Amino acid sequence: MTLSLVLQAVFAGVTNGMVYALVGMGLAAIFKGSRVINAMQGEFSVIGAMTTVLLLTKAGWPYPAAILGGSLAGALVGAFIEVAFVRYMAAKNASEDSFLLLTIGLALTLSASILFFVGRDGHLLPPLGGEGVLIVLDAVMQFHALWLIAIGIAVTLLLRAFFHRTTVGLSMMAASIDADGAATTGINVRRMRTFTFILGGLLGAVGGILVTPLIGVDYQLGLNLTLKGFAAAVLGGLTNPLGAAVGGITLGLVESLAIIGISSSYKDVVAFSVLIVIMILMPHGMLGRAGRRGG
Amino acid sequence: MSMSSVARLAGTVVLVATCAFAAKAQTSGEPVKIGAIVSVTGAGAGLGIPERNGMLLAEKTINAKGGINGRPIRLIIEDDASNPDTALSKANELLFGQKVIGLLGPSLTASTVAVGGVTHANKIPQIAFTGIGPAVEKERKCVAHVLPPQKLNAQALLEYAKSIKAAKVGVLHDAGYGNVVMAEIRPIAESYGVKLVAVEKFEVGATDTTTQAAKVKAAQPDAVFIIATSATPFRNVKQLQMTQPVVAAIGSSSYEYVNAMGPGADNVVIPEFVVGEDPLPHQKAFVDLYKQTYNSTPKNFETAGWDAVHIMAQAIGKAGPNATPQAVCDAMRGPYSGVLANYDFAADDMTGIPLSSYVFSKLVGGKYTRIPFRIAQ
Amino acid sequence: MTRRLLWIAVALVIWAMLPFVVPRNIADLLVFTGIYTVAGLGIGLLLGHCGIVNLAQATFYGLGAYASAYCTVMMGLPSAVGFVVGAAISMTLAYVIGRPILRLTGYFLALGTLALSAIASALFFEWDWLTGGTLGIGGIPKIDIFGFVLDRPSRYYFFVWIVAFACMAAARNLVDSRTGLMLRAMRDSNTAAASLSIDLQGLRTRVFVVCALFGSLAGSLFAHHVSFVSTQSFTVDRSISFLLIPVIGGATSIPGIVAGAVFVTFLPEFLSNLGDIHQILFGLALVAVVVMLPDGLMGALNRIRARYAARGNRNAD
Repeated sequence: MTLSLVLQAVFAGVTNGMVYALVGMGLAAIFKGSRVINAMQGEFSVIGAMTTVLLLTKAGWPYPAAILGGSLAGALVGAFIEVAFVRYMAAKNASEDSFLLLTIGLALTLSASILFFVGRDGHLLPPLGGEGVLIVLDAVMQFHALWLIAIGIAVTLLLRAFFHRTTVGLSMMAASIDADGAATTGINVRRMRTFTFILGGLLGAVGGILVTPLIGVDYQLGLNLTLKGFAAAVLGGLTNPLGAAVGGITLGLVESLAIIGISSSYKDVVAFSVLIVIMILMPHGMLGRAGRRGG
Repeated sequence: MSMSSVARLAGTVVLVATCAFAAKAQTSGEPVKIGAIVSVTGAGAGLGIPERNGMLLAEKTINAKGGINGRPIRLIIEDDASNPDTALSKANELLFGQKVIGLLGPSLTASTVAVGGVTHANKIPQIAFTGIGPAVEKERKCVAHVLPPQKLNAQALLEYAKSIKAAKVGVLHDAGYGNVVMAEIRPIAESYGVKLVAVEKFEVGATDTTTQAAKVKAAQPDAVFIIATSATPFRNVKQLQMTQPVVAAIGSSSYEYVNAMGPGADNVVIPEFVVGEDPLPHQKAFVDLYKQTYNSTPKNFETAGWDAVHIMAQAIGKAGPNATPQAVCDAMRGPYSGVLANYDFAADDMTGIPLSSYVFSKLVGGKYTRIPFRIAQ
Repeated sequence: MTRRLLWIAVALVIWAMLPFVVPRNIADLLVFTGIYTVAGLGIGLLLGHCGIVNLAQATFYGLGAYASAYCTVMMGLPSAVGFVVGAAISMTLAYVIGRPILRLTGYFLALGTLALSAIASALFFEWDWLTGGTLGIGGIPKIDIFGFVLDRPSRYYFFVWIVAFACMAAARNLVDSRTGLMLRAMRDSNTAAASLSIDLQGLRTRVFVVCALFGSLAGSLFAHHVSFVSTQSFTVDRSISFLLIPVIGGATSIPGIVAGAVFVTFLPEFLSNLGDIHQILFGLALVAVVVMLPDGLMGALNRIRARYAARGNRNAD
């Protein structure tokens, strides 16, 4: 095993990990603000990416405008889901399981709708920074992957600042931790939950648009992203977007190092086993209790 | 309007007129019901949708020419959602509910084996859109296959590797289809003078195979085989700036995958059967008719759908009116020169496709071109 | 009481007549309903009585199916052996894995079981010497009872449903027993149950093992029905659709499980007649059930019945 191969595996692991992290952060943000596990988080990514593709190729918008349009589409769908379904079910005190089932049903519906209305073709978007690559010791990394990682880190930091420094962010946290208490201090709990879903939809869509130049987008991508994003979020303690970033990158690295260290056949077996072990040994996520409180 | 488009228009007019005339003049009586199961949704939809298009075109064409001895055919097409359990339920419905005389499909190997259990037990002719699979299918002499067994695909890949003098070959394959073809490559590679220097696997539907591709790159092969039903490995090989010739198995030959490959499609060579941009002489009539009808270019699976309907119709015609399914099954067993390939359904593998039926395409700028290389009989 | 007996007798007659009056494809779906009922019962026990979301049932379903396929096709053993071997392997595995994994709770446990399903699915692909990989194992013989071959859906129907009824009785027994009481105490308050020195871990593991047993039995039944098994039938998607059974029907009610199994087998079939749009409609139907019937089909039925009874009482006053 050469050094360049290891380096290549690390490049791939960090890139994939950041993809998982972006989906996981959206999941964690929604869970933090509403206690709902959103099994359609990956669909937000598909909606954002597909809208961008359609605006760019069919409507002929310039790329930056198409990206903005795609991100807004994710946010809008997020708001719609909350107003149309989650609000109604929350008013009826629905159980945690039924929220999970609701989002599974919505994920199936959205994925099938994309198949029906847009088609089954995969689509790519132009990479940011062009087709250029960075070569270190024979290991190759797309410029776009570097952009993805940089934007991912920026999003993580922004999200952290949002929850800790802004009134809206603090109110969202308060509303989810103690709805009645928050309401007495004048926080509109319902509106905060809508904001949470808008945020989750936005994060999902941005993640989807960022990964499309690397992995392409099609109607089936959602479930795959949701599973990995869920794993990333849980590794990070579920309520902590920063934890989701750490969890995602850990997962990505474990996968790619398993390929060169053990065998590509057992990649998923290794990654998911590590996931189970971490959950059992670190019940509060990889950042521990501190991470959970901080999130 | 150019000369060629005038000619095409005139051709269409003549064709449509003949069809309309023939249809009015000849078909009458009770339609002959033929069942079909394809994967229109789910993982196999990339196969099932083109197969359905090919079948529908064949149905229309056969009926326009007077059907089977004057009786029109009627296809009843069901979707198995790429799921063998559903395929079995649909087969039960078609065979015992609709009482079809024969069955076309399914699109996937697992579904074919599941459905074959019923058609074989009841001696009902079936023409599957798959290559022959596990050992149990050898006993099923009523289940014909219009696509080659994976062993043949393996040989076609190795023949090409040999022709470009690639002594060291690296392989990237998925855990499903790729695994099956790979199992056929391993025992025979050496006899083609090919050494497998790296064989890397990834899960079906993987979104990233960069690390596997990097391992193949590190082994410094002369050529790379990609055996998968996805565009991902092609992109990754390109992203790693690998310059070796890439040879891909037929499973990734569709416009859908090629579009998703982006720049990764450049110079990929694929052993397959139909290059719609430059068809063989005996394929031209079908390719032209398909283009006129659907406004797109047919590939292997569209052609398989077309051939399957014709093979079944011919067997039913040969067995005569009021023939039992068993008689149709017997009538089917023999040589047939299809648009896709030259078949011999009396062969042991229930398909009899020779290696000489393969053509080799090369992707240039995201478009298929046919290269002169063929495998001698 | 006599009226109740009468109802049961009528239901039994309808049950016995059903496969002979419906077309073969419907009989086939009824067989699948029975198989899914068996698999769903186990998940219902975990969900309804322990509050555990089990997304690993496809694993045990697969183990049962492969055990039956391998024992009958590769080793030529009688089909009963396959059932027993599958059950033994599944229960052992559930016990060994259950102890550590069931220490997790809530969504963490849900993800743990999901991960288990993903691992198993990858191994089913990988161990093709055992499972046949993508090509699968074909030619699994039909079950034959003293020379009477269950080779068509209308015959196999009775076998499957008798197994299903036995499993329902066993589940009912478990729920009504002391274990069931403790389970309910545990579901309603973990701390209270622990302070009564109930061995929570042991209890949860026991139910998990029962769930695995049912999953494995369902898998063996499936293998003998379709005569063919391959990796495609035991993926994470299958685990998710198994979870839908108790959630749609109502996890705590045994008739609810049957209703859920009817829903997941029949609805897609009927919707598929409507063309390519059927998957969207299935998703929407699922959303509609979750939103409008939060306690499942059976819960909705009970509420209607309660309202009807209340009205009846009022009229009597």
